[in-house]
Amino acid sequence: MNAAGVDLQGTTASIDADAWPKGLNRELRRLAEEEGVTEFVIENPRSRHNLAVGQTADVTIRFRGSVGNYCGGLNSGATIHVERNVGWAAGEAMARGKIVVEGNANMATGASMRGGTIHIKGSAAARCGVSLKGGTLIVEGDVGYLSAFMTHAGDLIVCGSTGAAFADSLWQGNVWVAGEIRSLGTDAVVIEASDDDQERVHGLLRENGVDGTFTFRKVVSGQKLWYFNNRNPDAWLKI
Amino acid sequence: MCGICGIKLPASGPIGRYLVDMCQAMRHRGYDSTGFALYGDPVDGRLVLRLRIVEAAHTHAALDALEGALRERGVTLADEHEADGAVDAPDRFVRALVRASTDQVRDIVRAVDDAGHGIEVQSIGRSLEIIKDLGDAETVNARHGVDRFTGSHGLGHVRLTTESIVDVAYGHPFWAEPFPDISIVHNGQITNYFRFRRLLTQEGYRFHTSNDSELIAVYLADRMLHGETLWDALKTSVDELDGCFAYLFATEDEMGSAKDPLAIKSLVAANVGGVMAIATEEQALRQVFASELDVDLPEPRSIYVWDRDGNVTTEIV
Repeated sequence: MNAAGVDLQGTTASIDADAWPKGLNRELRRLAEEEGVTEFVIENPRSRHNLAVGQTADVTIRFRGSVGNYCGGLNSGATIHVERNVGWAAGEAMARGKIVVEGNANMATGASMRGGTIHIKGSAAARCGVSLKGGTLIVEGDVGYLSAFMTHAGDLIVCGSTGAAFADSLWQGNVWVAGEIRSLGTDAVVIEASDDDQERVHGLLRENGVDGTFTFRKVVSGQKLWYFNNRNPDAWLKI
Repeated sequence: MCGICGIKLPASGPIGRYLVDMCQAMRHRGYDSTGFALYGDPVDGRLVLRLRIVEAAHTHAALDALEGALRERGVTLADEHEADGAVDAPDRFVRALVRASTDQVRDIVRAVDDAGHGIEVQSIGRSLEIIKDLGDAETVNARHGVDRFTGSHGLGHVRLTTESIVDVAYGHPFWAEPFPDISIVHNGQITNYFRFRRLLTQEGYRFHTSNDSELIAVYLADRMLHGETLWDALKTSVDELDGCFAYLFATEDEMGSAKDPLAIKSLVAANVGGVMAIATEEQALRQVFASELDVDLPEPRSIYVWDRDGNVTTEIV
């Protein structure tokens, strides 16, 4: 017998999130592992938090509406499709899998993500890609202030413009911007991207169905913050 | 943590129900106490007093003493009733109507002081009624019937106590003595609190708590008393107040919000068909707007004003 709000048809499950104030993530895992479900459609997500967190199976989860904070956090396999907007920290610390957002994202998208792909078709708010540690994070629109803060590794691709203090305290990683950079953060340096780089980034975009030709610039670390130099403490005092 | 929310309707409507639902949707942000600032339809020549008698056993003695103290100042009690359904609670809440104008708020406050018996003023105003108590939104609603309240606008707050005590008086929203119809809900910390508290105390203002949110309410109301518009007062506050904050402020017919330069405190706003709602979390807005929507994200240093004509203006200051 199926739990309330779950309509199981073969390997597809349609679930009404209104019936699951708690325990939805555990139910998704159970259905994937025990009932062999590979496709989930979640109705009425109503901007709720913590949806599809900690999913381990290679399933597809489609949210028919906006989701709240931390959607797809700790994901290690699922492909998550959000038909509208996401809240804070979508895909936080995810390791594998994919999150596609048709609308916009609130703050801290992909915070500390380690692998997989996040694709925001609209814009992302402040602190997008904060402490990125791997994977690919694509934003077709603009990103807010303090985006790419302390990015370590991975690719952050911004097709639009950035907010203030972009790539502040950038560590390493590949940060690409096609539009205007409102202002750079501490120790961030803009360099021209090579033809190989342009080709590679466009390749990543095409893999995710983003056509179009952009001229990307690369933002790298000035490496002034890499080692503490007591003869030149100014760089550190600024942060 | 804490969660704040506000709603403004184009005409009088079920603000109590909306605010309870919005606060309950943010229950996880704090359920030490929950409070509401509700703006109903004003009656000319009347003020609404919301009082809390700390010891329920003293209710009758307190109200008798209050009536006498008010009469000495030429204020008569038009109606009073115990405004909560909890018979076995240690405290008692009272809603009283007095025949008085807004010029007499100071007199009423003094009368409450004289009456003694542990009466706390929660709010005084032509249309403002602050209801705050311990517990989550539905717990407070069950005791106080918040969902029956209709009006034009209101604020809500769910509190996770971080820097002071779990006590009704320390819960939000705060009223700004002695300004009628002023209320505030706030999420954050004001780090130059003592400086402004000292300045305002020297001006003669009295604070009922050591909560920084109460300071913001008095600070803004004082600036408006000295001729600033709500817009200008909010703008100055962003420059003068330090800390991380997001707050909502309401007068009898306007609402405003301000956000600090670092803007770590979340706020999302939406305006659909003249219904304006703002909250810490989008899932609270979804209690008001059933259909999918795109929300506004107030920027760092941004202020919003929802004026008496239903217009929304915003600026990064």
